[in-house]
Amino acid sequence: MEENIVKNGKDPFGFASFDKYESEHIAAPQYSYWKSVWRTFVKNKFTLAVAILMLVLVLFALIQPSFSKYDPLIAPNVNNESMRFIKPCAEHIFGTDNVGNEVFDVVWAGAKNSIIISFVCSFINMLIGVTVGAIWGFSKKMDKWMIEVYNVVSNVPFLLLAMILSYVLGASMGTLIFVMCVTEWIFVAYFIRTQVMIIRDREYNLASKCLGTSTWTMIKNNILPYLISVIMTYVARMIPSLISYEVFLSYMGLGLGVTKASLGRMISIYTSYMNGYPHLFWIPVIVLALLSISLYIVGQRLADAADPRTHM
Amino acid sequence: MSNEDREVILSIKNVDITFHTGHKKKVEAVKNANFDIYKGETFALVGESGSGKTTLGRAIMRINPCSAGEILFEGKRISGKISRADDRNVVRNIQMIFQDPAASLNERATIDYCVSEGLYNFHLYKNEQDRIAKVDKALTDVGLLPEHKSRYPHEFSGGQRQRVGIARALIMDPKFIVADEPISALDVSIRAQVLNLMNKLKTEKNLTYLFIAHDLSVVRFIADRIAVIHHGEIVEIAESETLFEYPIHPYTIALLSTVPMPDPIVEKNRKHIVYDPSQLDQSGEQREMRELRPGHFVYCTSKEFADYEEKISKLEKERNG
Repeated sequence: MEENIVKNGKDPFGFASFDKYESEHIAAPQYSYWKSVWRTFVKNKFTLAVAILMLVLVLFALIQPSFSKYDPLIAPNVNNESMRFIKPCAEHIFGTDNVGNEVFDVVWAGAKNSIIISFVCSFINMLIGVTVGAIWGFSKKMDKWMIEVYNVVSNVPFLLLAMILSYVLGASMGTLIFVMCVTEWIFVAYFIRTQVMIIRDREYNLASKCLGTSTWTMIKNNILPYLISVIMTYVARMIPSLISYEVFLSYMGLGLGVTKASLGRMISIYTSYMNGYPHLFWIPVIVLALLSISLYIVGQRLADAADPRTHM
Repeated sequence: MSNEDREVILSIKNVDITFHTGHKKKVEAVKNANFDIYKGETFALVGESGSGKTTLGRAIMRINPCSAGEILFEGKRISGKISRADDRNVVRNIQMIFQDPAASLNERATIDYCVSEGLYNFHLYKNEQDRIAKVDKALTDVGLLPEHKSRYPHEFSGGQRQRVGIARALIMDPKFIVADEPISALDVSIRAQVLNLMNKLKTEKNLTYLFIAHDLSVVRFIADRIAVIHHGEIVEIAESETLFEYPIHPYTIALLSTVPMPDPIVEKNRKHIVYDPSQLDQSGEQREMRELRPGHFVYCTSKEFADYEEKISKLEKERNG
């Protein structure tokens, strides 16, 4: 019996040997990038709370208008004096405005359009900007003439361009999206170009070249992963700024026409009632601020979580 | 050992590498370099900072273009414009180990990707399993674990990262490796490990190294032959032991005089020799590589050659009694 145990190498009273490799097997579990990004992101309770707030705001803005069926052209209570300028109460959560509409409905309908416009514009701008910028940063030949194009385009006054385009094409959502993309992408491209140039000449790219990696694969695997966090930061700044742009243009009367609800138009109309009924002005402004800030914070935290160095 | 009957794997012929820095300004990084590297040897290139060692190494990798002369790999020209097929062939067969393991690995890619990048580019695997098997083998070969695959470079120590760099080069099954100061960024305790690993792999895989370094004691340990480069000119080429015993070019002598000795008495009595280019022949005659003894080349004019010949005969007489 005893002999058997020793023969099998399982002497219960013998010394346990230390196997360096065995310990590494345990210490090095398989690792997944996106899982770690998620884990890092949700670790911070504040971030999680802001992310939930952002989700609630965005989803509410996207869903609520299809229930309220708010249309700025129809004001059912316009002739009912008693329905105007009601302060926020249990029945009218955000109160009512100068034509007797529920501010609650108006705010979400406006927020929906603002969100759609800013998301679509950011997507288009980023898609064109990052693609052009990545190639621009890599190719010295392209840089020579692209920089001239950039100098010309970036010096066109934005407001002037927006005014002309919205007069020529007519105020609509399509026009607004076009206006906010037609020159904006080149700033993204320029930003990405500078970032790519910083990374382009690092030694690991040289190493990739020595391994026969094509330029495109190099952009995809060596350059863009480094830019994920910068791109996310850029998007996080861009979405709120596009929302405020939309609000600003609508406020100037250059944005969406009277047929579409818009936070900007709302704020511009309600400003005149600010003395008597401050809630009319402050409610849309607070919704706008909450939306912008939560989008910005979530974008920033996602950008941080995208860096694998924060994962451990 | 005669060099004639050994197979030449890489030869550098009258190579000049010039960088143009603005209008009519230029830097001649390498001037008229000439040497052959034989199959299976470790050829070291030593010189001070800025002497053009790395530039020459990178010219072989086709990163820096040659402004004159040509580089032949297995008898085929690989400098200047070559066909795509030839270029792929060069990439397959010549690989590089980089100086700084922290900078030469993609921080945002897993070790798995870093090592298999070359495999992906040339599709050197039959299927996914084959690729994984190859990566695992390459990692085990350099003393890492297959479990490390899913990690990122920043999780590794300098020595481990350099091993990843070596694995990445080896997985391509190259014939020739340019090792650009592979150990100068490493801790002294790790250097020996990496050098021994390189030596082991050399015999296992029948590799040829061009070992670029500035550390003479390391070069003496690893190299079969040594070329000394100074200000872009290769001044002396010889077998390692010959170079250390009979250094003949004044620059080589000066360089060797700077090697620190781990003996306080020897160290105290060590004379530093300062290289003074004005001692050289100033007649303006074009210098060229001349063979002083079999396998021992010096870059000199004919007058200098006569001087060196006299000196080396004297030295040999002294040493051999």
